[in-house]
Amino acid sequence: MTTAKLKSLRVRELTKSFADTAAVVGFDLEVVGGEFISLLGPSGCGKTTTLNCVAGLLDPDTGAIEIDGRDITRLPPERRGFGMVFQSYALFPHLTIARNVAFGLEVRRVPRAEIEARVARALDLVQLRGVGERYPAQLSGGQQQRVALARAIVTEPALILMDEPLSNLDAKLRLEMRLEIRRLHQALGLTTLYVTHDQEEALSLSDRVVLMRDGVIEQSGTPEELYSQPRSLYVASFLGYRNLMPVEVGEVSGESVSVVANGLPLTGSRRGAVAAGTPAVATIRPKDVQVLGPGSPGCIAAQVELAEFVGDGFELSADAGHGQRFIARTLDRWSVGDAVALRLPPERLLVYPSEAR
Amino acid sequence: MTAPLARDKAVAPSRPAPRRRRLDGTLLLVAPAVLLVLALFVYPFVYGLALSFQPYGDNEANGPLGSYIAFFGDARERLSIWNTVRLAIPATAIDVALALPLAYRLRRPIPGQRTLTALFVIPMTLGTVLIAEGMLQFLGPAGWVNKALLAIGIVHEPVRFLHNYLGTLISLLISDFPAVFLLLLGYASGIDPALDRAARVLGASWIQRTVRVTLPMMLPGIAVATALSLVATFSVFPSAVLVGNPAGETRVIAFAAWQAAYEHFDYSEGSAIAIVMGAIELALVFAALSLRVGGYRRLTAEAGR
Repeated sequence: MTTAKLKSLRVRELTKSFADTAAVVGFDLEVVGGEFISLLGPSGCGKTTTLNCVAGLLDPDTGAIEIDGRDITRLPPERRGFGMVFQSYALFPHLTIARNVAFGLEVRRVPRAEIEARVARALDLVQLRGVGERYPAQLSGGQQQRVALARAIVTEPALILMDEPLSNLDAKLRLEMRLEIRRLHQALGLTTLYVTHDQEEALSLSDRVVLMRDGVIEQSGTPEELYSQPRSLYVASFLGYRNLMPVEVGEVSGESVSVVANGLPLTGSRRGAVAAGTPAVATIRPKDVQVLGPGSPGCIAAQVELAEFVGDGFELSADAGHGQRFIARTLDRWSVGDAVALRLPPERLLVYPSEAR
Repeated sequence: MTAPLARDKAVAPSRPAPRRRRLDGTLLLVAPAVLLVLALFVYPFVYGLALSFQPYGDNEANGPLGSYIAFFGDARERLSIWNTVRLAIPATAIDVALALPLAYRLRRPIPGQRTLTALFVIPMTLGTVLIAEGMLQFLGPAGWVNKALLAIGIVHEPVRFLHNYLGTLISLLISDFPAVFLLLLGYASGIDPALDRAARVLGASWIQRTVRVTLPMMLPGIAVATALSLVATFSVFPSAVLVGNPAGETRVIAFAAWQAAYEHFDYSEGSAIAIVMGAIELALVFAALSLRVGGYRRLTAEAGR
């Protein structure tokens, strides 16, 4: 384990608009050397714009970017010395793999012998020994991705920026490369800013996740914080709360709140300003919905509508009457038409105020 | 074509017998085009080639190569090759050099891109004759350009733009620019913009990006544009006559062929000169296309990835 070259990256009040659309508004972030930070959000949330501003490929309208206390907001990208991995890999098609990886060193006029040694080492690190003389078009997508990684790390940058690097790979390779990226990050003591729309990727890779929406940070924190304490309905729905029910709020007592969803009385945990008599949304993860045998006390009676085998169990869609459906994950085998009882643990059923925006 | 066939063969064991290749009826649709090429290109070419080996008049004494000997034996005739080369190569070089940065700059939508592109392409719609007509007005001794130059005081007597080498060169520059520009624009817009960004982040300055990424990526386009422009400028005829000096410095090879055939009525020598011209053009095209060699050619198709 090496120590990070970077001490800190600060992004202050970053704002960037395109024509009339605000892409990023008042973005603040402080990154400590060695951290792996993900910018997470759907397309158009401003995460890539933010990354490009940090890279210097876009000029922010206002705000500042500082590296170790030095303002680099107006420094051109070629003088920032960062590494970047692009979604399309952006390998130079006319150069061999070795020359691609060497590019950053060649433009820095590193001596030839040293370039050769460092390129070989970088290709070793990404487990691509022996492909140096080939051209990018001769490699598979996964290999091209590794080359892009090698090219970004060979200059030993203080900061690595990654723009959805795995989104062009198939599911299996994606998992493999995810581990690879995290391994390199740790082994080389990198500081990484990673853009993705994949919550699983963000949660598994990151020390901290910044979830963005419409150019604004919706919540930032450790993966555990986001996962277990989503601050808003938006965060919750983005992080796998797939049961979303419009409810009417009954009694509120402290954290506990009783609500009615399509005529079903439920008890949940209050999140945010939820007041009696106001509309709200209750939400729970499929895997938190407990599926029990019919007639279990204190449960909702329902009937299995769909049962999907998902490898490590079943995903059920169960109809609880009044048009209320629940998605549940369970290890037990249930068949379509089975009568079941659903238990929604109150501490797992989160009730958020309805969003006005 | 070959790839799917090969794959068919690989799966063949499950099939009882190899299918016989049947002629696709739609193939007949190319018949008119083939006939046209045969009638308008192949036949005249073969006819001319044969004619060039049947010398006429005094040249007959020198055997079948008589017309060629006559052409190459005459210093004034030989000079027409040089007169053409010294027009075609600078015109091509200047057009490519001007079009390249413009095409690269205009490869992505920027304000006014459409207007600019349209402006650059307009000369294509004008024939060489019309361009020459315009030049006669515009660049003549009493034209606007000379008036302006005199008024500013840069020159003290009108500059001779017309009826010389310069006139022909300017006319070629104008008439060839659109094709070169459009071709390069096509190539430039096929380059993944992420490549330039990647090079920037990797620390490459503007010059380094141009030399190491942009130019090599554009090279196949530059080669094709150069080849096309060389061919177009090599067969220059109208502008050499209308705004050049066909009796002297712009007596180009096409003019020499025309003179032999239609002033001296020696069709054989006219054909021989045309064949020489064709051979030189072919050599220039191959020279231009050889720019593409190196590791990159086979990867052109992947340029957009």
